Parts: sequence; C-alpha cells; structure tokens
Amino acid sequence: MAIENKVVYPLDEAVDFVVIGSGSAGGIIAKELSTNGFSVVVLEQGPFREAKDFTHDELDVNVDDSIGGGRAADNIQTFRDDESKVAKVKPGRNPARYYEGVGGASVHFTANFWRFREIDFKERSAVGSIEGTNFADWPITYGELEPYYTKVDWDIGVSGAPGPFDSPRSKPFPMPPIPIKSSGVLLKKGAEAIGLTPQAAPLAILSQPHNGRPGCINCGYCLGYGCEVGAKSSTLAAMIPHAIASGNCEIRAGCAVYKLETGADGKISEVQYLDSNGNQRSQKARAAVLSANGAETPRLLLLSESSRYPDGLANSSGFVGKNLMMNAHTNVQAVFEHQLNDYKGVQVTQIVHDHLYESDPTRGYYGGGGFTARPLMSATPIWYSLAGQRPDGPQWGAEFKDRLAHNFTRQMAVVASGTNLPLDRNNITIDPTHKDKYGRPSLRMTYREHQDDIANVAYMQGFAEQMMEAAGAVEQWSSPAKSGTGGGHLLGTCRMGDDPETSVVDRYHRSHDVSNLFICDGSSLVSSGRGQPTMTIMALAFRAAEHITAAANNNEI
Amino acid sequence: MKSKTLNRRHFMQGSGILASSSLLRLSVPAILAAAQTACSARDEDAAFVTLTASEAVELEAIAARILPTTDTPGAREAGVIYFMDNVLGEKFSEMLPSVRSSLAEFQEGIADRFEGALKFSDLSEADQDVWIGVNETMQFFSVAKTLTLWGFFAMSSYGGNKDNMAWDLIDFDGPGAAQPPFGYYDAQYMEEQSNGN
Repeated sequence: MAIENKVVYPLDEAVDFVVIGSGSAGGIIAKELSTNGFSVVVLEQGPFREAKDFTHDELDVNVDDSIGGGRAADNIQTFRDDESKVAKVKPGRNPARYYEGVGGASVHFTANFWRFREIDFKERSAVGSIEGTNFADWPITYGELEPYYTKVDWDIGVSGAPGPFDSPRSKPFPMPPIPIKSSGVLLKKGAEAIGLTPQAAPLAILSQPHNGRPGCINCGYCLGYGCEVGAKSSTLAAMIPHAIASGNCEIRAGCAVYKLETGADGKISEVQYLDSNGNQRSQKARAAVLSANGAETPRLLLLSESSRYPDGLANSSGFVGKNLMMNAHTNVQAVFEHQLNDYKGVQVTQIVHDHLYESDPTRGYYGGGGFTARPLMSATPIWYSLAGQRPDGPQWGAEFKDRLAHNFTRQMAVVASGTNLPLDRNNITIDPTHKDKYGRPSLRMTYREHQDDIANVAYMQGFAEQMMEAAGAVEQWSSPAKSGTGGGHLLGTCRMGDDPETSVVDRYHRSHDVSNLFICDGSSLVSSGRGQPTMTIMALAFRAAEHITAAANNNEI
Repeated sequence: MKSKTLNRRHFMQGSGILASSSLLRLSVPAILAAAQTACSARDEDAAFVTLTASEAVELEAIAARILPTTDTPGAREAGVIYFMDNVLGEKFSEMLPSVRSSLAEFQEGIADRFEGALKFSDLSEADQDVWIGVNETMQFFSVAKTLTLWGFFAMSSYGGNKDNMAWDLIDFDGPGAAQPPFGYYDAQYMEEQSNGN
C-alpha cells in the first residue's frame, strides 16, 4: 500500500465514526466526514489496491474473479429462486457480485452514470399501487437530490451531454462526452430509423483531465476491471486520497466486519471485525455508517442480532434484506459487415431512453428502461469465445474458429435494462448451513423477478432487435428474457422512508431503531431506477454525509 | 492487419512432421518423447509438469478438434496444452482430479466403436469429430472446451497463446492505449461530421 494512512486510531478509544465499506457510498461519506473534521475509521474487507495494481489479465480478473470476492467455491454465497427451496452454492460466480477492495464496486463498474428522473421518486403515486409488491414513493424528490447529483458530476467526475428526456440539471456536465464509438454510431442510426431519440451516454469516466486526474486512454478494460490510470471515477480515484489527506481518516483494508455491537442504551458502541491477519478486533465508535452494499449491509445487520434486537439490528420493520432489486436486463447480439473494433475504448457511448423509460399502462404491465450500445462480451477474447456466440451456431471446430476470428471485431450488443418491483420474496438472508471465507454465516440470496420485470425487458428487446436491423446488422440473435440469478446491482434491501413500519432508514439515512447508525448504499433505494444505480447511490451518499455532519455538529447523534 | 496464416514451421510442428527428428534428440522413454513432440508447439524440449505425457496427448488432441489447425493456427500451434499443464497444476489445480477422471471416462467406448483404437488420439480427425459429436453434452467436453478457450486467448504468460497468435487471429490488438476512431463506423461518422453532413 503506497498511500499510507496519516493517522492511526486506537481500538479502545471511540472515534467519531466507523464507516463500514469504502465503495460508492462509503468512500464518499468517509471523505466528507473526515474533511469536515471528524475522526473516521473505514473498515474495508478487501485489500487496498491502487491504480498501479490493476491488470488486463482476463484469466485472473474475469475468470478467476481475483478482484471480486473470488470464485464461489472460495467464498460461499447461496442462491435459490424460491423460499420453499434449499439454497445452493452456484458454480462459478457468486450471486451477489461486487468488487472486494477499497473503492468497492465503483472500481470495477462499467461507469454508466444515469441520473434518476423526477418520475423515479414518485412513481407509485403516478402509477398506483401494484398488488403483492412493496412499490412505494421515495421520501425525497429529484429536486432535493439534484444538488448532490451535480456534486457527483463535478467532484467524482462525469462526462456527458444533456439529453432531451433528462430531468433538469443546475449545472452543465464538467466535461464533454467520450467520443462516439462504432457501437454508438450503429445504435444511433438504428434508433433514429425507428423514430427513437438516442443521446450521448453519461459516464463516470473522464473524457479529459479533471481534478488532477488524467483522461481516459481507451484501453477498453472498464467492465469488471480496475482502471490503471485513474480515469474511471471510482471513489478509490476520486475520494479516498482526499480522505487520507485530511489526516482524520484511517483506512483499514482487509478487515471483515462480523458484528455491530450495541451498548446498554441500545446504540452502537463498537464494531467487531477480523483484521487482515484473521485476529478478532473491535473498534469503539460514537456512531457507525454502514455502506457495505445492498447485499452485505443487510447480512451484517442480520448477523448483528442480539437479545435486544432478536430479528437483527435496525430491523423492527422486518424490511432488512427484503425488496432486493437487481435491474432486469436482456441483450441482443448483432454482427456487422465492417469492423467496429469495439473492444477499444469505454463500453458505452450512446444510450436510448425516449418513451420507453416511463411506464405505460397500455403495455399491460408496470416497467420502463433504457438501452446501451456496447461491446459487452466482445470486449475481451475469453469472455467473447465462451459467452458471445450464438447458441444455435457451431460450438467447436473449424467453423466455430472462423466465426471467432471474423466476428470478434464486428460484433456488438444492445443491452436493455429496466425496473424491478420490490417484493418480500426477493431478499438477502443468512444461510443456515454455509460459511464464507472469513467464517461468517453465508449470504443467501432468494430472487425471482416479478412477471412485469420480465415483460418489460422482453418488450424492450423487440426494440433492440428493430434498431440493430435498421442499423444494417448482417446477423443478430438473443435469448428470451428471463429472471436474473445474480448481479452487481444490489438495491432496496434497507429502504429509506418516513414510516418506521415500512422502511429501515429515514430520509437522512438514519436507522429508525438505532439513532447512531446510518445506512447508505444501494440498500437505501426505494425503487430500482432503469438500470444504472450508482450515480444515485453516490448522490445519496453526498446528501447523507451533509446531514450526518449537521447532526453531529448539533449533538444530535 | 497482421497475417493470420500459419508459417510453415508452425504448420509442420502442428502436423507432427518434425516428430521423428525430435525423437532422436530426446533421451527419454519413447512414449514420453512421442507425447512431447506431438505437443511440440511451444517448445520441443519442454516437459510437462502436471499432466502425464499420455494425458497431454489426449487433451491436446481434443483441443485441436475444438480449435483445429486450418489455414490459420489452432489450439496446437498456440500451445494450449502448455497452458493446461500450467493452470491445472497451479491457478486451477482444484480442477485436475475431475479433468483426469473424466478424460478417462470420455474415452470409454472408443475401442468398442472404432476397431484398432484405444484412445481418442488413435482416431482419425474425422472419427475424432464423430466421437465428440456423440459426447458433446458430457460435462467433460464443456470443461475441455473451456480450458481450450482459456488457453488459446489468455495472456501468453500462462503458457498458451504463443506469440499472441490467438489475438492476431481475431484481430485483437491486445491491451493498450488507443485513439479513436477505432473502427469503420465511427471513422465514417467522424468524417461525415467534419464534412458537415
């Protein structure tokens, strides 16, 4: 670790805040609180890798999942699609996927940075109730979050240009969009041909130098990889250095929290963890911020059960872990006559929202979404060869090889991503049998998307096919839309709300039950948005940090 | 664009024409020498660390039907077997026992169906394809295919993808900085924009 902590806090003296998780939310909150003068310890279960530590080694990163939590066999989670079944360990990747290390998923994400729109925050009122679901309005509006979206644009670094369907913004993008790639040109052509309006993709990747960081060099290793030059706007690149420089923030990497301990007053008193040598440690704290992601945050709360909190910490509503949403999606693969070489550069340069973003009752279901054009599987050779081939085509032999050779540079994908309805049955719980690599009871995911979620992306898939046809694809294929069995968008599992009976945190991310516990990450989201949640998670984090700071300054924690 | 066509040396190694000269040089048991020279793409003198010589012969023969040598290089020329030998001993060593046992299982029945043949490598290429066709849905074939593609396309430091020939085959320039336009359609678009269209 080349970035050395400037401060080391003793375990037995309470720091102002322990922040659990250093990702999209935790990295921002740690930076904001520490630069506001509070003493902060960040506990991050993964290692502290820096830009220089990232590689383009596909076998190591993509196959072996070396920067994620590792292969399922090494770090067990379990999955089932129905609560009546016994959850099993999936072969290959775990169901809840995230980057494990300082910066969290903002290190390996694709960096699509769509703001939610005004409708996303009040859609329940607009659409009406949906039986059997926990569909609800947010306690805050787009207008309340807008200043923080703008702060993300400028402090984190977002490239883009305003689109015709975007909600209002108070300040322009800090830098222009990344230049359009061939996949973007083809999506644009196809969309315009069928009467849809495309727009430049907002991305958390710098199109030019910004805040002392360099612009993108177009190496192409964004999806699933850490950025080797720091052009991707992770909290690792944009926030953590400032947190450390404040002299108030100690980052403890390789520290896996297993329990939030409460005192006689029912408030958090200390946070227990295994350090990088496997030793049990406990850090005393005046308050805790839990930002471990939408899967690990509810798991930690459930693991922190006690006689006082028998159903898990902060869970009087019973909503901890419930309402998991991962953004339904589907994709269409298309091959063109000429070379796109779309493996170079960022994944996405053009998107389509248009009227498909909003739900329309005439379609017969609830849901909306958006499209991205990208290489997806044809970004890297191994993934392409194993997953990027048409299922009814040759799977081995000379013709298979010839297709690999010809199509790798000519293939692209249109991804349709959309809404999920929040359901009790989709949740994170504690597996009764398995343990993870740290010895903690394993995370168990139960997930089966609502029929409307599937209907929505299936409907969108038809538009994707039309766009590729209109763009001149010589060949295209897709698989029928179906429920996801895992993903990196881990949303809704500790939702915010004004009513303690139907939400876990209040509108300022404070636990309804435990007054010195704040929870902010993907778990806070009330609705799923249309497929790109991290921009909103980061905006929520800046907003949460401002309110936590004010509360601390007023002795209200 | 780089040439995708095999040079003569690669082709001859792949087809085993050099085997006899290698046999004479190697002072090891004949069966091992034969195996090694059959798998001679990477380094004629390299010994296998993890796999037995006969396992290597069979695995390479299977890999060579998944990505055959044609007028362009295949698994054999790229040294996929050296990748397998490497990762089955280290990075993915937990796969070795099942690869080993299912390789044997995959070959059960060859002797009954093909007269005079005991092993997959005894078969002609046409018969090898027939046998794969019959057993395509076996878990083993899926594992063999996965290992073959990993080995073909992974960084050459893992033992396969010799001289980046797999990347050259698909016109992948490899990791590195790039400047737009990258392809035909973005170049055309940029030109149209600069012409004011």
